[in-house]
Amino acid sequence: MATLTAPTARRPRTAAARPLRPSRERWSRSGTLLLLLCSVTVLLPLYVTVSMAFKTTGQAVDGNAFSLPAPFDVQGFVQAWQLTEFPVGLAVSVLVTAGTVAATILLAAVASFAIMRNWERRLFRWSFFYLLGAMFIPFPVVALPQIQLTGRLGLDNPVGVIVLATMFQLSFSVLLFTAFLRSIPLELEESARIDGATTWQTFWRLIFPLLAPMSATVGIFAFLYAWNDFMMPSLIISDPDLQTLPVRQQLFQTQFSNNYNVSFASYLMAMAPAIVAYLFTQRWVMEGVTQGAVKG
Amino acid sequence: MSEEPRRALRGISGALGLALVSSLLAGCGSGDGAEPVRFTFSKREAIPYMTQVVADYNASQDDVRVELDTSGVDVVSASFVRGNPPDLMLANYNMEVARFVDRCTLSDLGDTAAAARIRPDLQPLMDQYGTCDGRTSALPYSVMAASVIYDKAVFAEHDLEVPQTWSELLEVADTLEAAGVTPFYGTFKDDWTVAQGWFDYAVGGQVDTLDFFHRLDAEGADVGPRSDVSFEKDFSRPLEQMTQLAQYTNDDAASRGYGDGNLAFAQGQAAMYLQGPWAFSEIAKTAPDLDLGTFPLPMTEDPADLKVRVNVDLAAIVPEGSRHQEAARDFLEYLYRPEIIEAYNESQLGYTPTTDAPPPSDPRLAGMTEYYDEGRVYQGASVLVPKTIPVMAYTQGIAFGADVDATMRTLDTDWARLARRQ
Repeated sequence: MATLTAPTARRPRTAAARPLRPSRERWSRSGTLLLLLCSVTVLLPLYVTVSMAFKTTGQAVDGNAFSLPAPFDVQGFVQAWQLTEFPVGLAVSVLVTAGTVAATILLAAVASFAIMRNWERRLFRWSFFYLLGAMFIPFPVVALPQIQLTGRLGLDNPVGVIVLATMFQLSFSVLLFTAFLRSIPLELEESARIDGATTWQTFWRLIFPLLAPMSATVGIFAFLYAWNDFMMPSLIISDPDLQTLPVRQQLFQTQFSNNYNVSFASYLMAMAPAIVAYLFTQRWVMEGVTQGAVKG
Repeated sequence: MSEEPRRALRGISGALGLALVSSLLAGCGSGDGAEPVRFTFSKREAIPYMTQVVADYNASQDDVRVELDTSGVDVVSASFVRGNPPDLMLANYNMEVARFVDRCTLSDLGDTAAAARIRPDLQPLMDQYGTCDGRTSALPYSVMAASVIYDKAVFAEHDLEVPQTWSELLEVADTLEAAGVTPFYGTFKDDWTVAQGWFDYAVGGQVDTLDFFHRLDAEGADVGPRSDVSFEKDFSRPLEQMTQLAQYTNDDAASRGYGDGNLAFAQGQAAMYLQGPWAFSEIAKTAPDLDLGTFPLPMTEDPADLKVRVNVDLAAIVPEGSRHQEAARDFLEYLYRPEIIEAYNESQLGYTPTTDAPPPSDPRLAGMTEYYDEGRVYQGASVLVPKTIPVMAYTQGIAFGADVDATMRTLDTDWARLARRQ
């Protein structure tokens, strides 16, 4: 968290301490250079992705990744759209991601609250370690039994992926939430109790809103995981019509042929929602984190 | 603020409800009476063709409705685990698919009309990957033949004939080099191109791979310096020749990959290229009118030893776990109708494995047709070694200058160790 806020938090402070020093420019030059380098590592691949997507197949394989598309061609998008059945894939991906994010935030928050407020009881303490233990189990290790299990329970569809993804995301999210819950003073809850609130009311009215910044962080992690995950949906979902976007895009990666324009057009379309969502939630996270910092 | 959690809750329940409904809808989507057949096919270049075939078949009758599934081999493996495998597959025939054969999870296709039309001399090649007693587990659908691709214009310009023997090959390479033309384009950065082209052609050109792997299997865990047959004994000579040929490549071969090779060859940067027919469509992306031909890599002084490398690019499979056996077989027979299987192979530059089929008319394949027709073919040694042994990396090491004998000894040890474990 501290690393997240560092750039924004430091600047006003330095400005306040040394308001009108000319040395500010020198500092910003090296800083700008560093930031420039950082942004190049992001922008350059992005540029290649965008320009590749608009090239013809012939130009895409000519070995000049940085050249501008000439002629400008949208055939890649058309093909990618048709080959992946983009609207369907997008809908499934959105569904899986939204379900995973919502379920992760909800379950992890409830579980963390219960665990933190009953820490002295052995059952709760051990259940915390149990949940954390899942962090040491990567999906490929348990893939085989999971496939069989979901198949038998009729969960070999996006719902099963939501359940499993939530489960795998739970351990890390509980870790984040419990750490954050420690910083919320118990007196706050006691005051709610004195006003006659039940445990459930205390959680919903008081604790959950206070957890908002951490919920945003947890939500972003869950979002990135669920949106980009390839292996789990590919193995769990049995109906190809209900497959998520990353799995549909696997079609473009073959040993024997390169269709950079089609694949990059497809990747671009798949990336767009993630980038948009990230832009918005990132702002929220920044606000939320500073908010939480002041309170803590 | 008190509104917020409630709104969140509503959103969550909405999302979950949507999930439930969509899965229910998917469950009862097939209510029109026709028997559904899930047909797995994931060869990207041919998906438009197969989509059309499926549409035609569905339109031609009302009893069976075929659904094309293009989601790939991982998904298929998972469906076997789950117990709902596809009803029919056209899959690349390799060690991975062979595991299903070995464990007898595929139904017998021996009684189909299609099976009766398959060229019998292809059966040993199919059996090389694995067998299930008394069953015809898979039927070849498309056979790819691979050999040396050469630029006819460059050969004509330097007055060169297609070499028939090893010394003629060296002569051709020397002539080209003297004229300032790179004889071979090497793409050693991608280890599979070394294994598929250089290693397989070199070995297949003088070792009887079918016989070699039979004897190697018989030796099992005893493969080593004292066994009658071993990689070290049988492969060292062809691989020494391979390293000799690798001298005739472009200087930057070590840092060039498959994509670079296709581009460079299309631009006329070399005269010969050790790749399969799949490279033709890639080369054509840059140079559609390049006049290319193919010839088997000569490794001995006897033209009778010339052979081309083949692999079963697609094989038809009906898993035992399929609940629509009859319907799947009906569609299978449809797929094997001469006009459909032949048109498929014609478009994909493959050879049709049925006895009565004409060879593909593409002139670029003409150099291999007589060998395929006479059955002078072999399967690549690199694909017959189980994937647990990193044979591709070993061959790449040799192309980079590693000692042939030492590498082959490593391969022998690996083979023996694997045999001991199994």
